[in-house]
Amino acid sequence: MFASIVTISLAAILTNNFIFSQFLGICPFLGVSNKMSTATGMSVAVIFVMTMASAICWVINQFLLIPFGVADFMQTVAYILVIAVLVQFVEMFLKKAIPSLYSAMGIFLPLITTNCAVLGVVLLNTQNSYNFLESLVDGFTGGVGFTVAIVLFASVRERLQFADYPKAFEGFAICLVTAALFALAFMGFSGMKIPV
Amino acid sequence: MKKLVDFVKPAAILLIVAAVVALVLGLVDMVTRDRIEAIAAETKTNAMKAVLDADSYEELTLENAPADVDEAYTAAGGGWVVQVTESGSQGSITLMVGVSPDLTCTGISVTDSSETAGLGAIASQQSTAGENFRSQFVGQSGTVAVTKDGGSINALTGATITSRAISAGVTTALALCETLG
Amino acid sequence: MNVKKQLTEGLITNNPVLVQQIGLCATMAISTSLFNGIGMGLSVLIILTCCNVVISAIRKIIPGQVRLAIFVVVIAGFVTIVDLLLKAFIPALSSALGVFIPLIVVNCIIIGRAEAFSSKEGVFLSFRDGVFQGLGYTCVLVLMCLVRELLGSGTIGGGILNGATSFFTLDGTGAGIRIIPEGFGAGALVLPFGGFLTLGCLMAVMQYALRKSNEKKARKEKEVKE
Repeated sequence: MFASIVTISLAAILTNNFIFSQFLGICPFLGVSNKMSTATGMSVAVIFVMTMASAICWVINQFLLIPFGVADFMQTVAYILVIAVLVQFVEMFLKKAIPSLYSAMGIFLPLITTNCAVLGVVLLNTQNSYNFLESLVDGFTGGVGFTVAIVLFASVRERLQFADYPKAFEGFAICLVTAALFALAFMGFSGMKIPV
Repeated sequence: MKKLVDFVKPAAILLIVAAVVALVLGLVDMVTRDRIEAIAAETKTNAMKAVLDADSYEELTLENAPADVDEAYTAAGGGWVVQVTESGSQGSITLMVGVSPDLTCTGISVTDSSETAGLGAIASQQSTAGENFRSQFVGQSGTVAVTKDGGSINALTGATITSRAISAGVTTALALCETLG
Repeated sequence: MNVKKQLTEGLITNNPVLVQQIGLCATMAISTSLFNGIGMGLSVLIILTCCNVVISAIRKIIPGQVRLAIFVVVIAGFVTIVDLLLKAFIPALSSALGVFIPLIVVNCIIIGRAEAFSSKEGVFLSFRDGVFQGLGYTCVLVLMCLVRELLGSGTIGGGILNGATSFFTLDGTGAGIRIIPEGFGAGALVLPFGGFLTLGCLMAVMQYALRKSNEKKARKEKEVKE
């Protein structure tokens, strides 16, 4: 049990990082990584939504979709609705509790709904038939992996403003090239495993 | 009263849309379900036939099998087919291993994997390189390992982890069949 | 809005991937062989067109508050239909694209077009928009696949050409036409690294080209004025 949890965490954060090796959640990753403060704010929201979504979707799948025999074709629809509602909830909460963070994240908050890392993690949980705890851990550490990637990247991107590169690479293009180097670095983690 | 209508109307419309979608999906599912199941069964039988040809296979109930063994079958003409799942470099690798009655490997087939395209993914491809890699396992017995670990399997270039995982899977399958006798 | 303008927008000036810079995840993740690229591109095209038409048709009865939820349900519905059909009829493609088929639900292109276009425009225009935007997406995917596959694994048309039983194949056994001898490709290009790099460079090329053409247009206008 312990071993599988450590393995899942390690994979989600380093070896199989959602952004740098699975290409999930690239849009918000590029969108909010230009400033450290928005990057961290976004990460917290993503960690929360991913953990909650993993837990709720597991319950829905086990106790609603599978017993009624509709898991094959209603999974995607049900999951995305859960995520949409959750995001709405986070948005309402932030608006009331931390208005400054709410205004900083602006349009990216509703975009968590369309963050493929969130839907990705719940779909992968189901595909790998993780149990409740494993799903929860995968959701949480997946969010942590997203945070690691986005915070690392934001710190590099803040310096990118002062770099001298061809004008054609302005905007997302140079970011993608930078991300490519990150991906190469993260490949170094591949195959890392806990001896059981 | 107007407030209530404002609240109920959007909810009702959402519900109707969701219900229609569910209905349509149910219909599509009805049409495709048999086909999908048939394809899954066929893929499995093909994979089993590829590693150890037999007319029929009988599933064994396993007790105290190692965690990485999924299923095991006895082939009609003697020998076993074992399905094992190992963790590779990108995720889990599921493979079928054929084992002859004298406990040597008769062949392997990777049925499900998410290894790196161009490197580890070669192990599951129908290409010359893939065939060459997989055919190395034929005739192996006892503990199977890559050359780096003192065995005789030449690992795929740039995919030592994948090759190790597959070797470990074959070793597990051989060990399991030894207990099956 | 005329057809030609809509087509150029979808393919070039407002290309979903290279200009609007959305729907990047799948673009980078699956563009390792032509089979994946064409399969994914056409799946998105079909889903986008269907969603655009349906959303445009029901746009008058969609209440503003639950608009996004309704879009998402409609999109998820079509995605599941395509997912089930692929599983039943082209299983090789379904297993090659894996989780990225259900993930089309959150592909920003589709929800983006629903929000920006089809929830405002008529059915026919939305249909055309879906087809053209989908074509733009497919073109970029195919381009990415060609570059990454050729330089990375040294083949063209992996998965779809040169199959075990016939030249064109949908069973995933296609080995592709080998251009660069085995082992001489820049293998890193088919890794995640290559995905980021290739897309970054394609975007740069696109920005360069667009800027040049804009400059040219500006110069022409100036000449006309003078």
